[in-house]
Amino acid sequence: MLLFGKDVRILCRSPVLLGALLAYPIVIAVLVGLVAGYASSKPRVAFVDEDGIPPVVQVAGHRFHVQTIIDDVAKNVTLVRMSRAEAARELSSGKVVATITVPPGFLDKLTSTVQTPSLILRTGHGGLTPVVTEQTQALVYQLNRKLQDAFVKADLDYVRLIQQGGHTTLLGHGYDVLGLDAMEKLLGSLPPGQRVARMKQFVAFARFALTQTGSALAATANPIGLRQPKTRGRSWVLSAQVQAYGIAVTVTFLALLLAAGATAAERDEGTIGRLGRGLVSLGRLVWAKVALAGAAGLVLGATIAVVFGIVVEVGGVTGGEPWARLPLLLAGVLLAAGAVGAAGTLLGALSREARTASLLAVLIVLPVIFLGLVPKAVAAPAAWISDVLPFVHAVRLFSAALYDASPWRTVAIETAWLLGIGFVFGLLARAGMKRLAA
Amino acid sequence: MTEVLLRAVGVSRRYGELEALAPIDLALCAGQTVALVGPNGAGKSTLLSILAGALEPSAGRVEGDARTGWVPQRPAHYARLTARENLELFARLEGVADASAAAARLLERFSLPPDQPSGELSVGNRQRLNVALSLLGEPQVLLLDEPTASLDPGQRRRVWEIVSGLHESGGAVCFATQNVEEVGQHADRVLVLQGGRPVYAGDPDGYAEAAEEAFR
Repeated sequence: MLLFGKDVRILCRSPVLLGALLAYPIVIAVLVGLVAGYASSKPRVAFVDEDGIPPVVQVAGHRFHVQTIIDDVAKNVTLVRMSRAEAARELSSGKVVATITVPPGFLDKLTSTVQTPSLILRTGHGGLTPVVTEQTQALVYQLNRKLQDAFVKADLDYVRLIQQGGHTTLLGHGYDVLGLDAMEKLLGSLPPGQRVARMKQFVAFARFALTQTGSALAATANPIGLRQPKTRGRSWVLSAQVQAYGIAVTVTFLALLLAAGATAAERDEGTIGRLGRGLVSLGRLVWAKVALAGAAGLVLGATIAVVFGIVVEVGGVTGGEPWARLPLLLAGVLLAAGAVGAAGTLLGALSREARTASLLAVLIVLPVIFLGLVPKAVAAPAAWISDVLPFVHAVRLFSAALYDASPWRTVAIETAWLLGIGFVFGLLARAGMKRLAA
Repeated sequence: MTEVLLRAVGVSRRYGELEALAPIDLALCAGQTVALVGPNGAGKSTLLSILAGALEPSAGRVEGDARTGWVPQRPAHYARLTARENLELFARLEGVADASAAAARLLERFSLPPDQPSGELSVGNRQRLNVALSLLGEPQVLLLDEPTASLDPGQRRRVWEIVSGLHESGGAVCFATQNVEEVGQHADRVLVLQGGRPVYAGDPDGYAEAAEEAFR
């Protein structure tokens, strides 16, 4: 406790350092938030029209405004029209993440309503490829949804023609169709007989069956529909996920830098030798730094959580429990900051000098955070590396503590991870401290 | 027979391939002042650090239960804490019963400004604080690593007055120096080191030739 008190006193006497330690991680957290926001925004996709599709297209007797449809369905990607060469160049340079090409003859096949034309998707080789492919598949799905309504209506027009009769054009030839209504009248004018009765029976059955066709076609096109009623929940910036990431980023930054700097400073000031002569065991010295990181992380994490809670309350935002879960969150923050502090102590012991330690801490903390942000689906090795570092477990713990209806299982698992990681880093830090003292 | 307060038996120190200190024996007896003489890199600081318990020897051992005070070559205290806070902190870590009183006594004895961050003290005051910290545990053996190297003549005199007090009260003193004058004035025995090996051990009267050779 003596060393912990000394470290706190020294920290409070360094207002510039303290201000930087508090402000810097918050700035980084905001930047990470912006990056995360960008990552979840629409990717830019090139749209190459090699078929010269006109602004208005008639398919199955229905007129479509192409740009209106594109604007309507391109919810997840930003489609940018460009030439084939330009698209290829931008794809190779990474300016677009994919190209969608409308090949020659596409419209003819589409308007024939008897052939299925294809769009051609080319993607880059970056980590976003699976995401872009999924989003493009969603785009094609949305286009099909738009077209299938027209196709169903066109099919129903044919059904109506069979029911009511009339004139139609098919494959360039005009036809006058009698229709079931007219046929029934015609049959009524004929002398009764067994054959006429059978024809009347067929007409009645056909009329009944065709009245069901509209629903059947609609059901075939959309076996399962999805409605998304609008709810009044948390906005993106007030989501528990953002809060969890925000606290984890700031606490990781603060705890790593503080513990690394404070440890290396013991050598800079020559005090590690004085302490190491039996006054303090190396284990206690490591614990003092871990406690400092934990305490500082707790103060900062609590401040962020309280500010966030006040904003949520003032904004009248529903969802989540900003106050009821505060003790659980703060216990998690203390644990996470301690685990990161152990890693920082190791870093400080290895770097031997405070300035080097601070620089190393900054160099290391950013990749650690960004590794934790990379989805496993995009790069599995990043997730494996991240699993043995405290950041990602802190995020999961905070997120569960803030948001999950039953957080205990996740809290227990992530607590075990953080304790294990903290213990291993603590042991390594103790060994590093011995080296530092020598 | 003179009481041996601290004894190094075959202590040596290696840093990888480099042998910083070859195996060496040294006994520090009550009422005795030993000077360690040698150029930079001779192994003086390494030997003192091992005797102080601040550095583990690669081989050999240090025997003796005497309380030791250590004045490292470079002042070792927290720059953002005041002299009083540094003294109180280390007094508590040393297990001194009344840390505040002990700190106050040393502040007065060394004429140190009590409430100024020690990082803002003059070089001389920082070194005096360094010496004051070594006296917190009321040591029987005082180990000083070039304690007066950065002090003016007046400050040197004051440091030696304090060191002499311990010597006269039956303690042992071992100091490293490159100052020939200090050896003649304060040492009872001299150990000359060169390249981590002892090249002379004996009276101050006969060390000059070995020292001259070592510094060449």
